[in-house]
Amino acid sequence: MSSPLKDILESLIFISQEPLTIDRMTAVLEGTPAEEVQAALDELIQGYAAAARGIQIVHTGGGYILSTHPDHDRWVRKLLQIERKNKLSSAALESLSSIAYHQPVTQAEISAIRGVDSTYTLKTLLDKKLIKIVGRKKAPGNPLVYRTSERFLQYFGLNSLDELPSEEEIGKILQEEKSSEG
Amino acid sequence: MPENVPEPLPSADAVVALPASDAADGYQVRLEIFEGPLDLLLFLIRKKKIDIHDIPIAAITRDYLGYLDRKEQINLDREAEFLFIAALLIYIKSQMLLPRETDLAEQEDPRRVLINRLLEFQKIKAACSILRDREEDQLLQWKRNFLPPLPGESELDFTEVSLFDLAESFFLMMKRRTAADTRVIKGRDVSTEEKMKELLGLLRDGQVLDFLAYFATQESLEEALVSFFCLLELIKSRVAVAVQDELFQTIRVWLRKDARRAGHHE
Repeated sequence: MSSPLKDILESLIFISQEPLTIDRMTAVLEGTPAEEVQAALDELIQGYAAAARGIQIVHTGGGYILSTHPDHDRWVRKLLQIERKNKLSSAALESLSSIAYHQPVTQAEISAIRGVDSTYTLKTLLDKKLIKIVGRKKAPGNPLVYRTSERFLQYFGLNSLDELPSEEEIGKILQEEKSSEG
Repeated sequence: MPENVPEPLPSADAVVALPASDAADGYQVRLEIFEGPLDLLLFLIRKKKIDIHDIPIAAITRDYLGYLDRKEQINLDREAEFLFIAALLIYIKSQMLLPRETDLAEQEDPRRVLINRLLEFQKIKAACSILRDREEDQLLQWKRNFLPPLPGESELDFTEVSLFDLAESFFLMMKRRTAADTRVIKGRDVSTEEKMKELLGLLRDGQVLDFLAYFATQESLEEALVSFFCLLELIKSRVAVAVQDELFQTIRVWLRKDARRAGHHE
């Protein structure tokens, strides 16, 4: 191979529209062992981080993708003429996190967890492709069953569902809330 | 939300400012509205520093109904759901008042079901606050896997459509035409080149083309088919982009920016 592996990887990640997985990289670089690819990738990422550049390589959605540096958000928005990015509504976020922790789950189950009807919110989340329908439950009425999507992981910068806030993190938040009221 | 936003109540502890991050972004501080009954219950439990595992049902029910009566801080669209939990509270209290021969074991506590729900909901809310932080971090990091939105339509979230979506819309449109049962007089032959020019012209002038509306103007099946192929060709050669906002809605087509600038794809 004429150019260093690291530089080839940089090109591959640059040209990918979606996060590029290690599997895809090794498939493209036929014959290069996955460990070598991983090592070159680590080197590349560190290179970006050390040089304090305007772009960075982020590990999200199970793969690697280029993104702008968070400090440059206002300039990017100015260029794209976007005032501010829309955040999820609190109802949408609540439904989404209910689904994330309880999937596969039906609309009725989500509504029960939240104590409010969630039909409309689910529709919004489906439109945003943050959740997907994975089938029907074998129960009276055969209700639809929902799961979070790949885009969900990317949206929150997660690589898998294992990276969702853990019991400990949640416990810490609850503890903080309790003490802040004392 | 009712139109007459209430003055802060005398019991000032009911007034809760939104998280500082929101306020910093230019939002007004406002009264917290309880979106759902579980929100309100958790708030009351915290306010009274009650142990969630040992809720004094009578006291909580009284406070809860107080909020429901004032209606100022509850999401009125959800009134039925607030009332449902009120009924559940009263039911639990009645169960607890029933005389029993022996003391209840822990798992037979009539409050058990409600407590479990509250604990679970509390966890979800805590997870939400963590996810919200992550969302804010992520929104600052721009990636290339999004399309620059059209001027004036920045609030829409576009998703590029697949060939199947396009084909589906096409067949839907053809079905509509068949249903209309118009008698078509066989017209001139349509050449791909002419169609391509026509399409490009339309895209340049109008900038955005409504896919279904465009095909509805086609005179014959043949003409519509040729247009469809031209469109597919334009998308394949990455001259045009096709975007659908929502399932089953029309697909809109416009020229890619670079193609518009070059302006010579004939």
